[in-house]
Order: sequence, then C-alpha cells, then structure tokens
Amino acid sequence: MSYWIHILILVGIYLILAVSLNLALGYTGLLNLGHVAFFGLGAYTSVLLTDAGVHFIVAFLAAGLVASLFGLGLVLITRKLKGDYLALATLSFHFVIYSLLLNWVSLTRGPLGIAGIAKPSFFGFSITSNTAYLFFVSSIALITIVIIYKIVSSPFGRLLQATRDDELGLRVLGKNTTKLKAKAMMLSAFFAGIAGSLFAHYITYIEPNSFTLTEIILVLTIVIVGGLASIKGTLAATFIIIAIPELLRFVAIPSAIVGPSRQILYALILLMILLYRPRGLFGRIDLT
Amino acid sequence: MTFPFLQLLFNSLIIGSIYALVAVGFSLIYSTNRFMHFAHGASVVIAGYALFTFFHLLHLHLIISILLTLAITMSIGYLMHLCIYKPLQQRKSSTVILLISSIALLILAENLILLFYGADVKSIGLIPPRTGISIGDANITVLQIFLIVISVILLIFLYLFLRHTRLGRNLRAVADNKELAAIMGLNTSRLLAFSFVIGSLLAGIAGILIGLEQNLNPMMGTSLMIKGFSGAVIGGIFSVPGSILGSYIVGGAENFGTWYLPSGYKDAITFTLLFLFLLFKPAGLFGMEKGVKA
Repeated sequence: MSYWIHILILVGIYLILAVSLNLALGYTGLLNLGHVAFFGLGAYTSVLLTDAGVHFIVAFLAAGLVASLFGLGLVLITRKLKGDYLALATLSFHFVIYSLLLNWVSLTRGPLGIAGIAKPSFFGFSITSNTAYLFFVSSIALITIVIIYKIVSSPFGRLLQATRDDELGLRVLGKNTTKLKAKAMMLSAFFAGIAGSLFAHYITYIEPNSFTLTEIILVLTIVIVGGLASIKGTLAATFIIIAIPELLRFVAIPSAIVGPSRQILYALILLMILLYRPRGLFGRIDLT
Repeated sequence: MTFPFLQLLFNSLIIGSIYALVAVGFSLIYSTNRFMHFAHGASVVIAGYALFTFFHLLHLHLIISILLTLAITMSIGYLMHLCIYKPLQQRKSSTVILLISSIALLILAENLILLFYGADVKSIGLIPPRTGISIGDANITVLQIFLIVISVILLIFLYLFLRHTRLGRNLRAVADNKELAAIMGLNTSRLLAFSFVIGSLLAGIAGILIGLEQNLNPMMGTSLMIKGFSGAVIGGIFSVPGSILGSYIVGGAENFGTWYLPSGYKDAITFTLLFLFLLFKPAGLFGMEKGVKA
C-alpha cells in the first residue's frame, strides 16, 4: 500500500508538470522543450531557500516565481524563432540550465547534489508521513488543474488558442501576441516550478541528473499521449504513463534493468503514438 | 604556466574533427529531409559498440570489424528512415513531430545499449594510447594525428562527391527544391533514403574513430549529437562546409574556453554559443534565412 502511495505522489507531481506543459504546448502552441529546466529551477530554488531558513510557503512560491521569470526571459529572447529553431533554442536553454546546476558548485554542490532536504512544514503542521504528503500534493495538483482549466476556458484562454491557430490574424485584430505568449509561458513555468519544489521536498535529494533529457521525453510523452489541448487527456495519460512502468517491478527482473527498460518503454510508447495516433487519447489539434 | 596554445590547438583539432564528422551527416540529412535527425547520435554510439563487439568481444580482424560496423550503421540509418520517418513524412507530419520522434529514437537506442552492455565505460584497446609525439610543449598521439587526417580526407571527399558527381548533384537538387527535383524526374524518395545511408555512414566513421581513441559509454550519443548539431547550426545547417567550420569553432571554443573557465563548463560554452547564434544569427555563418524566423 505504501508503495502505491509513493506512485500516487509521483502521479500528482507529474500531473502538475504535464498540465502546465500542455498550457504552453497544447493551448498556446509554444513549442517548449525546456520545460524540465523550469522544474529543476523550481526544485533548486525551493531547496536553497528553505536551507537558508526561509519559510516553506515562501520558498514554494519563490520556486514558481523564479521559474516564471526564466519563462519570461525565454519567450522574450526567442520571440522571433519558430518551428525547429524554437524547439532547438528551448532545448539549448534546458542544456544551459543543466550545465549551470552541474557547474555552479558553490551554490548547487554540483554533481554531488543536495541531500537531506527538509520535508515541508507550515502553520504548525509538518508533513512527514507519505500519506500526508499525498494529501498535500493532491490538493496542489487539484488547485493547479482547476486554475489551468479556468484559464483555458476564459476569454484569455481563447486568445491563447487563437495565438496558436492564427497568430497573424490575431495581430491584425490588434492583439499583442508576444505579450500573450509571455503570459502563457510564465504561468506554465510557474506551475512547473512549484512541481519542482514538491518533487525536491518529497524525494529529499536532488542532483542535476534529476533534470535531464529523459525527463523531457517523459513529460512530452504524457502530454502527447493524452492529447494536445486536453486536460482530461493529460490526466488520464499521467496515470497510465507513470503507473505502467511500475508493473515492471512485479516481473522478476533485476533493478539495474528497470531503469533502462522504463526509458525504452516511454520511447516506444511515444513513437507508436506519433506513428499511429498522433492526436493522442483526447487531443483536438495536431502538433505543428 | 604559459598559455599552451599549441596543445589547445591540437585538442581543438582532434575534437573538432569528430564533431565535424557528426555534423556533416546531420547537415546532409537535414538539408535533404528538412528535419532534425537527433537519432544521428544513436548511429555514432551504435557504431562504437558494434566495433567493440566485433573487435574486442568476437576477436575479428580489425578491417573486417570496421566493415561490419559500417554496414550495421548504414542499415540502421536506413531502417530508421524506412520504419519511422518515412511513414511520418508521407502523412505530412510537421517537422516538430519528426524532431520529437528522433529524440525518442535516440533515447531508445541509448537505453538498449545500456541494457545490453551495462553502464560502465568500454575500451576497445587497440593501440597503447600514450605513445605521443612532442611538438614544442604539446603532445599528440599517432592515433590522434591519424584521426585528424582521416577526418579531413573524408570531409574533402564528401565535398567533392556533393560537388562533382551526378549523385551528389541530385542530392543537392533535392535539398534545394524537392518538388522541382521530382518534376525533373529525380527519384526523390530514393535520394532521401540515400542521404540517410551516407549520413549514417559518416556517423559510423565518427563512432569508430571515437571508439579507437576514447572510451565508450552508452550516453555519449546525446552529448556528441548536441555538439554535432551545434556545429551544424553555427556554421549554417544547409551548408556542408559551414557545418565543418562550425564544428571546429565548437571544438576550439570548448578547448580554449576551458583555459579561462573550469573544465566542467565545456558543455555550457557550446550551449551558450549555440544559444547566441540561434538568437542573433539563426541561419548560421553560411546559412540561408529560409524557414528560420516567424
């Protein structure tokens, strides 16, 4: 049972990460391959601040804000790029952040990582048991989903989708699409940042290698399997994608094989979806 | 310590040559197929491990091992094209879908190698590595000189092949305008496949040279791919000479940069350079502006 609680906590964290990516990628059409960098930035921000004695709630929100500021910067400097080049620029943004985390040893302890991260405590509560953490993560995930659902079904959300479908047309109508994209990216990065904080304080150990290319594939797989611009799809896909590889554990294979097998499974699922069902489970639009 | 210019230059040339071999294949495939074939890095790492298997584990003759390795990398390049990319292209998928599927292929290949060969580094152990020649203060091994020479010869051959043979001219025609090339009676689908075979062959040679000179690890495909495409993008992804120049720039920036910065920043230097080029000159040094900007 405690094992399934662990899985559900991970589902909650990846749900926030995937839904926030869907806001940028699916609803706004921002091809962001650097989403995991926001996740990592959030994790490190939150951990470094709580280590310095800052209150958890403040550190948690700061994680989102720092990620959000980087999101703003990323949109502003890449605003002229499109297609492959935007994908490459966001991917190299990810690599720059990754090498910073790896090399700024005096701040991040580099490849050694940061161990013994405190579990969150606020308002007199201290979340030490996994059951309590599951409750905490589920609440945050629920709040995130409700907020993002409200955003995408609001007039602002329709503008985001219009930016994706016909940016030029929207500009003709006098809308500032760069501003819209920046807002969407900042919101998306904010939730990725708080997901990073939740991840760090749950696992209690982070290292730069927690935030690599394989993580991007994982989150992209979730969003694409679920379908672009579908929160319902992302919800279903997160459960499927995070839970399926756990079945590998019940087959008697050595643990050294579990890691690579899981990555192989994700890559195969992603390839099969792209080949045979490019709109995913509930997707309404094509990836362009 | 004085500024070891010659040593840094040698190191830049060695690593730049390897990046250039990766980059030209990538650039050739990009210019004909118009999408970023990230799994090109997988071809490099598969070549390294294939050579390790044939030469080190099965004790085949070196020449036979190399020929088998090249055959395998060419077939894998062709199979990736046939089974994944071609169906996607026929459905008129966006280049972004092809890009994502190629990242998935890269992750797939690396993890398959990890599964079968384990995470520890493998060494082919052909020539005792430290029989160096000293020139001034700088050291370079015979194998490293061989590596640079082979790469330069291959790059010149590739350039001449693309410039002066019928096949090379057809490839450039497809790269320039696929529809027009098809109207003029060229078999474009065969040429697209062919660019994968040639590109993967170059990746295979890069993998073999790396295998002979350095140790192999399953995850080296990603980092080589990043360096290769950085070189290609910096030089101009449509241009083979541009990709070569870009790769030597990346090699030089890494090696000369680490004289001023801790060596851990090697990768960060490349990414920053790439990022700057994407922002200010996304078409690269020799590139065209087509399809870059919104």
